[in-house]
Amino acid sequence: MAHLRWLSASSGILLAAPAFVQAAQYATAEETARRSFPEATAFREVLVQPSTDDVSAVAAVVGKPGLRATPWRILVASRGAEVIGAVAIDSVVGKLELIDYAVAVGADGKIRDVEILAYRESHGYEVKLPAWRRQFVGKGADASLRVGDDIANISGATLSCVHVTDGVRRSVLYVARLQASGRL
Amino acid sequence: MRPNFHLQTVCRAAGFAALWLAAAAANAQPLPTPEQLVQRLDALAQELERVKAQLQQLRESRDRATTVPPQADAAAAPAAAAAMPAAVAPAAPSEPSTVISSYGEINVNRPKNGSNTRADLARFVIALQHRFDEKTKMVSELEIEHAVSSADDRGEAEVEQLYLEHRLTDTYGARAGLTLVPIGLLNTNHEPTAYYGVERNFVETAIIPTTWREGGFQIFGEHDNGVSWIAGVGTGFDLSKWDATSSEGRESPLGSIHQELQLAKAHDVSVYGNVEWRGVPGLRLGGGGFTGKVGQATPGFAAPDARVTLWDVHAKWMPGPWDLSALYTKGAITGAGDLNLTFAGQPFPVPRSFDGWYAQAAYRWQVKGDVVLAPFARYERFNTGRSFDGLPEGLNPGNVGTEGVATLGASFYLNPNVVFKADVQRFRLNKDNDRFNLGVGYSF
Repeated sequence: MAHLRWLSASSGILLAAPAFVQAAQYATAEETARRSFPEATAFREVLVQPSTDDVSAVAAVVGKPGLRATPWRILVASRGAEVIGAVAIDSVVGKLELIDYAVAVGADGKIRDVEILAYRESHGYEVKLPAWRRQFVGKGADASLRVGDDIANISGATLSCVHVTDGVRRSVLYVARLQASGRL
Repeated sequence: MRPNFHLQTVCRAAGFAALWLAAAAANAQPLPTPEQLVQRLDALAQELERVKAQLQQLRESRDRATTVPPQADAAAAPAAAAAMPAAVAPAAPSEPSTVISSYGEINVNRPKNGSNTRADLARFVIALQHRFDEKTKMVSELEIEHAVSSADDRGEAEVEQLYLEHRLTDTYGARAGLTLVPIGLLNTNHEPTAYYGVERNFVETAIIPTTWREGGFQIFGEHDNGVSWIAGVGTGFDLSKWDATSSEGRESPLGSIHQELQLAKAHDVSVYGNVEWRGVPGLRLGGGGFTGKVGQATPGFAAPDARVTLWDVHAKWMPGPWDLSALYTKGAITGAGDLNLTFAGQPFPVPRSFDGWYAQAAYRWQVKGDVVLAPFARYERFNTGRSFDGLPEGLNPGNVGTEGVATLGASFYLNPNVVFKADVQRFRLNKDNDRFNLGVGYSF
């Protein structure tokens, strides 16, 4: 019976673990969407499975790691019947832990906002700073979007800032492909 | 409602039978009464209803999100909803709650006298981090220096960090345990991929005793305007460890009396803190301070009220590919005059003041993809004994001299986690130390 009790307790912990391994959320993707597209009359959520063409096309531009091949959660903003933009939600590893972030891209392919949804590392919180994230605004898939080029590095947070920047570049390229092919 | 009724009835009957059988098999405790069994089954049925309701909620949430197929010509998603859809779980990778990381470096130093050339596995660190829940985690680093650690060898095995961190809010948090002291640029960011040069700079080794850690408590804040700060209280130095016959105190006054939470004398509590500002992307301005008594109520000690104070100011600016930094630090051991009198005639008394600064410029040339070549130059000045208390003229060493070191080299990053380094160093006073260094390091 003692063994059964431990087994049962362990199973419970294992099942519950994914729910506990969540840091405090900062802004939500929905708040980011509302703030980035105040003119929107409606938002809808889609889960988009990247095609092999998407993965190879984005990888050809950004190198490795390429586009995440699992379904992407995207909030699509509309005004009437017109799609005016999208918010892509993704995660990258900072140094040790995942950073959840959202990228809002207008119909013109330009970034309207980059929001950190959750940051869990002990150091390098600076990617959350509005001043750093504002560097992305107005840039599109044609921009370099590289740390040390058009995005400033952060002292003591190099890995977090490089990985978030790489993730934003991938997100913008992917959203641009979705918009161009009418998949949003 | 009909299917639910059937389900409940079947569950109840099966549960009844199972409980009776289990109870009979156990044969160790008195059998529960039928009334008790009915109560338990009712509780189980209620729990089942709750689970079913949660499952239905999840289904509804999933249905509100529409999966768009990968085909380029796929039909667009359904018509726009009137309001923001309910959130489903992010379609993003999940993270493990326990993470192992590591860093290490192997260095070769060839001084002017080639017979003193040494190759050294300077450090190998394994770090273990475990997240208990959304707000609380454990962070640790276990380090082996110089490859082999035993009674007959010169290596060390040490716990460099071991603390619990708890997030109070998005902005504030607290740590308890063995934590790094947030003074200088290097101490809290000391992986080989994070600094230029095969060896760590002298100022943040001789004056700020990197890697400097103390046991105690920290609170910290991280604000949206770019200001972050840490305030801490904990253990400090032990001046009774000072050995006036050893040059260790001349090489690094505080490094020779640190305790590293190794059965640390904790009678005297130290306080410290820092403030950083990163309000402009690429720019970091900051400073920190530490103070604490170091007599530690040691019986018969000649300097019971001695105190260590250390502070620094630093700046780092990274415009485009440039990486520019500068730091000034000053330390003092006050109230050690009487102790120095007991050391009269010995070569290495306790200094009253010591200080240093450096300026460094690096250019990070992105060769291709993640491959970066970063040539750099650094000049530093440091003095580990600017003045001494308590000793009369003739016995007082006075100012031991300010060493200057010019370092010119390059770091070649295969990717952000792997670096090969080479540099030459020229010394102002002790020219025998002029040397050429090679190193390889990693961090993940």
